[in-house]
Amino acid sequence: MLAPYDPRLPSGPPLAVPTAEHRLGTNDLGQDVLSHVIHGARGALIVAVVVALISTALSWMVGLAAGFLRPVEAPLMALCDLLLALPSIPLYLLIATLVGPSRRNLILMLALLSWPGFARVVRSIVIQARSAPHVEAARCLGATDARIVYHHLLPSTLNVLPTKLILTVRFAVFAEATLAFLGLAQSGTVSWGTMLSQAFSDPLLFSRPVWPWLVLPPCLAIMALILATTWLSSGLDSSQGVIG
Amino acid sequence: MIVRGELPRLTMRYLLLAVAVVLLNFFIPRLLPGNPLTGSAGDGLDVAAPLSAVAQEQLRAYYHLDEPMNGQLASYLSDLVHGDLGWSISRPAPVAALLVARLPWTLGLLLSALLISAVAGTALGVLAGWFPGRGRDRLLISVTAALSAIPEFLIAIGLLLAFAIGLEWFPLLGGRSVFPDFGSGVAGSARQILDIGWHLTLPATTLVLASAAGFLLIARDATAAVQSEPWLVVARAKGLPERQIALGHVLPNIALPLLTFFALRLGAVLGGALVVERVFGVPGLGLLAFEAIRARDYPVLQALFLLSSLGVLVVNFGTELVYLRLDRRRGPRLG
Repeated sequence: MLAPYDPRLPSGPPLAVPTAEHRLGTNDLGQDVLSHVIHGARGALIVAVVVALISTALSWMVGLAAGFLRPVEAPLMALCDLLLALPSIPLYLLIATLVGPSRRNLILMLALLSWPGFARVVRSIVIQARSAPHVEAARCLGATDARIVYHHLLPSTLNVLPTKLILTVRFAVFAEATLAFLGLAQSGTVSWGTMLSQAFSDPLLFSRPVWPWLVLPPCLAIMALILATTWLSSGLDSSQGVIG
Repeated sequence: MIVRGELPRLTMRYLLLAVAVVLLNFFIPRLLPGNPLTGSAGDGLDVAAPLSAVAQEQLRAYYHLDEPMNGQLASYLSDLVHGDLGWSISRPAPVAALLVARLPWTLGLLLSALLISAVAGTALGVLAGWFPGRGRDRLLISVTAALSAIPEFLIAIGLLLAFAIGLEWFPLLGGRSVFPDFGSGVAGSARQILDIGWHLTLPATTLVLASAAGFLLIARDATAAVQSEPWLVVARAKGLPERQIALGHVLPNIALPLLTFFALRLGAVLGGALVVERVFGVPGLGLLAFEAIRARDYPVLQALFLLSSLGVLVVNFGTELVYLRLDRRRGPRLG
């Protein structure tokens, strides 16, 4: 669409410095770097948004369940503890190598492993709210459990969700780029991390005059996306008065 | 003083976590889709050569994969007790030996970076929080906010570009010089150590930059919070010099959250170290993992996961013990 060339096909001489046809030059396979950057943005955003949505939904539901349903509290919190205690990168490396690093698998893995921290936050909010006067009042008036959860506990957890969403977007961008940089991306996937990984697997990279055009565009793209999320979250904080 | 009742509870908790990690390490490859031997799920990792049918059969027998699940678990546990982590698929060596050979690099990088960032971060944090809201405070906070928004490998690439390529102060990659001629004797080994230190400066700096931010912010907030405490006013009224107030009064009071954070950061810094090693070509566990990913060397990745998880658990356990000892507030209440 926006990209001048198909990023998967060679479209010029390999390792060329920028010209009028290839604004950011070409990589070692003669693929257009600008097209890679543009397509990489799509991949990064898809991963980031889907992971953030699933992970936020999961942590919210787990937090609510653990805060309100006594029988599931202990096992859920034990699971949280376990997942939080594991060093994430070695775990990701193991799982992604086993199941294969397709985009769908990466999204599932990052989403299913990134909810515990925030689930605890939601749970502590629920526990605080559980004994708040307005909840006790509702209980005295004979409100059912479902009504209390829906009308009195749920709303108090809502205003921390945007923060979690944005933090997870940033986490997913980090994680996807890092894993791709370590070589965990499906071959043929166009992503910023893969671009860097490809550039760095050339032992003579820095002796070639073209290296800035291979290294800097993906770096700057990742930085720009992450800075954008940071500004978004600090803007959100100041508009809501949430300290995150 | 470790409060009675607290220690068994902690030990129990960490033992359970360790058992869970060991079991997880057993079940993850068995329950996830994909067959390591045929590489049926490993789309994209096509650097690895496919295994022949004979080799697959041998590996299946070697890893007891032809036995029922409980037999597999039993032999996994007994191997583990004997320190046997299996054979690497891509290299002719036992996995345990590979890990042990690479461990010192990663451990050295990790510990030096963690210690430096804890000390430097705390010191800067106390400086920033001493006069909250002043220019120094604001400058330090915005610099750390910017740094913490950058993934480790980008910081690493930035440092590489600036100091190894631009200024040529530090080597481009590797953990030591390729054709060393250090001479012999004490001077020779001293030069060798200096050489390694010179190679590890940029990787360690990367990790310090990435993880000092958290220490700084925590120390800063804690210091700013105690500025109006009565005991601090008393210390000032006694005419103690500021340095003595900082070291003798403020630091002990802000130590606990920093200690907790130290334990929390460990896993993250470990992940950072693995990534940074790939950028700088340091021959530690990270580079081993990178090579293992390309060769689909599952035993290596599995052992790396087990080792790092257990290592993090052990350090966290140690931290909690120190915490119990330091936190005097718990003493009278629980004892």
